[in-house]
This record gives sequence, C-alpha cells and structure tokens, in this order.
Amino acid sequence: MADPLEMLDIASEDPEAVRECYAERGWGDGLPLVAPTPERVDAMLAGSRGDPDEPVATLPPRSGVATRRVIAVNAVLAGCRPEHLPVLVAGVRALARPEVNLRGVNATTHPVAPLLIVHGEIARTAGYNAGLGAFGPGNLANASTGRALRLLLLHVAGAVPGSGDASTQGGPAKYAYCVAENLAESPWGGYAASVGVDAPSAVTMHCGEAPHNFHDMESSEPAAILDKAASAMASLGSNNAPVSGAEFFVMMCPEHATACAAAGWTRSHVASYLHERARLRAGDLRAAFALRAWAPWQEALPDEAPMALTEHPGNIKVVVVGGPGKHSSVIPSWGMTRSATVPVEPPAPGGNRR
Amino acid sequence: MRIYSPEGPVGPPSAGLAPHTPVLAGKRIGILDNSKPNAGLLLRRLAESLAARTGATVGLVERKNAALPAPDDLLARLAEAEVVLTGSAD
Repeated sequence: MADPLEMLDIASEDPEAVRECYAERGWGDGLPLVAPTPERVDAMLAGSRGDPDEPVATLPPRSGVATRRVIAVNAVLAGCRPEHLPVLVAGVRALARPEVNLRGVNATTHPVAPLLIVHGEIARTAGYNAGLGAFGPGNLANASTGRALRLLLLHVAGAVPGSGDASTQGGPAKYAYCVAENLAESPWGGYAASVGVDAPSAVTMHCGEAPHNFHDMESSEPAAILDKAASAMASLGSNNAPVSGAEFFVMMCPEHATACAAAGWTRSHVASYLHERARLRAGDLRAAFALRAWAPWQEALPDEAPMALTEHPGNIKVVVVGGPGKHSSVIPSWGMTRSATVPVEPPAPGGNRR
Repeated sequence: MRIYSPEGPVGPPSAGLAPHTPVLAGKRIGILDNSKPNAGLLLRRLAESLAARTGATVGLVERKNAALPAPDDLLARLAEAEVVLTGSAD
C-alpha cells in the first residue's frame, strides 16, 4: 500500500486558483486546472476496478508511484470523465514497460512525446475520436486523456522541463497526445490484435515526434500513395536515421488504407513496401552521424547502397486513423524505445458508462 | 476547501551512491563512457589528471549507449574499480 496523498488547503476551486496554487509548487502544464477535491477524485475512481491505493507502476526519473488514486487526481485536473480512467491506467502500465525506456524518453533533448493510441470497444463507449480531426482539437476524451497522461509525466514521473525533461525545444505533442484507432473503417482489422493483444480494448504507447503529414489526392495506386509516406520517412534529420532499430508509426487515413487494401495489399505489404522505399544513400547517412546505432550488416553497406531508414519491415507499424480526406501521417520515433500495446481492464460495473 | 497533491509518493531508489572514497592512492579509477560527443576524451583526461595527483591508476574503460541503462555485466566489470567517472550530456 502506498502512503496517503498529501492534501492542500485552497481558498477557491476556481481553475485559475488551482493553476496558481500548483504553479507555486512547480506543478501543472501552464493551463487552468480542475480542482482535485476528494469528491471529484472519488467519483473518478468509480470508473476503475481495484484498490485505489494499489501501485500501478513506478515512473522514472522521480520514481513516482502511480496508484489509481494518483492517476485519478491527474485525470480530474485534466478534465477527464470516469470512463476515461481505465484508458489512463492502461497507459501508465504501458509507459512503465521496460522496452518503452521511459527514463530515456523523459531525459532526452529530443522533442519526443508518448503517443497514446486507444483501440477497440472503449474507444467507442468512452467517446474517443478516431475519425475526422482525430489528433485534435475538439474532443473531450482525446484532449483530456492526453493531457492527463502529460500531467502524470510531469507530476509523478518528474519530467519537468529543465530537470527531468531536457527537450531542447519541447513540442506541442507534450501538451496532449492521444488518438483512437478507426477500427470501423480499417480494412485490416484492429492494430492491437495484429501485434498479439487480443482484448476488447487496448492501448498502444509509441514515443515519437508530432505527426508528419503526407497527402495524396491523385492516386488510387498503393505505390504512389506510399511513395509519399516513404519520402516523409526518409529524413536525414530524424532519430530513425542513426538508430536503425527504431520504429515508425504510419497513421493511414481510411481512404488511403482502403485504396491499398482494394489492391490486395495487407498491413504487412504496406510495411514491406515502405521499408524498401524509405531509403537514403548509406554514405550520406554515415557522413551525417558520427554516433550510430546500426546493425553490423548496415555498417558494412557500401556508400552508394540505398539504406532503409529502419532495419526491418516489422519496425513499420500501420494504424488507421482519421476521417474523410486524403491526408495521412508518419510518426518517427525517438529511437531507443519500442512501442508497447497492453489491454485495458474491463470497466467498473455500472460505474463508468455515460 | 482541500485538494489533493498530484505527485504521489516516491518509491525506493533503484540505486544509491557508493560511500565516498577519501584516499585515492592505490585505487583503480574506472570510466563509463556514455558515448556522448567527447565524453570518452573528457573522462579519460579527467581520470589521468586525477591519477597523476593522487597515485591512483586508470583502468576499466567501458562504453554504453547514452539512451539505455548500462547492462548488468558491464556494471559488474566496473564494480572492480573503487571509483568510476561517468556522466556527460550533449
């Protein structure tokens, strides 16, 4: 059992007063905050099963213990509803997975932000936006869950700019970065099941950059669409260039995904094609990076060889997101991190349905 | 009215600092180079200068990726040194 949480006295529950009270202690994300009163936190906890004071995970570098109650406090602060809490709990579990390497993600000078992707039933029942404008703005579930995750990183993990977070420029994705998979319009079924997580609801954590858009209005040919994705991936400036084991998330809009599927392309075909096409000359990559984390066989490539921006097609992950239109995006990785997909625990009975 | 603190408790530290070594004469100085630019050069010069002033010896140079935790076998090798110099950022 974790220690009881500290309480603070405050004259008003006005969001600006809470912001000021927190800011004096180095807390908050700069925006007004919903007062985490015991009543609101108890109501939030009704959305989650389990002991409120049971540790869910310990988050570096602060070694902060995220109990359900601490997660609920930050969910209240961000404006979440109780039905969002199971998603946040799963998100915290994913953050703590060793392959995510949260210590490195929080410490780096890179602008990496953990992206929380919501899959399956809970995306629908808890009101997450997987369609038009899925990355925002305008949806409470996406905005508040993404914000709560960042507040947990600031408060519990200690990823405070200047101490636990050394990001040179920071980034807008560090305010709120949460999206839902458009399962209803995915021609390839759900992403979570494709990586072996067979649960009604799940989340994926990918620690990467903000989305890099690519558009193709002209073609129904997969190769023409994906060549544009490949051009967004083949960037000399991304961390995928010196770290060959790093992943790319390719967030395909339904129209692009449907065009690929209609031509008989599977998710795996898309990844293989992008692996083949997202390449730069090995000599140019070598000249650009004195420090490289490449596989030995890549180091042996001659300068003129076109080298893939990631070592293996399996590092290219394809998720369907968004609504009508022909814009998709590529999310490069920080590098020394792997995505994690974990199931969302079933909602509390009767406690978290709107 | 009362509101919660958002931080939660702090868990036990994953590692602590070793006790201070008051006399370096006759001791071994190890180096953990985290591969950041010039980290190896800086740490070696520092170790050599420290050794020249104190009578310690420089040995056990290990290298790791800055973004990942040091592997257990590497830490076990470094444990043979009484003092280890490390830490360099961009």
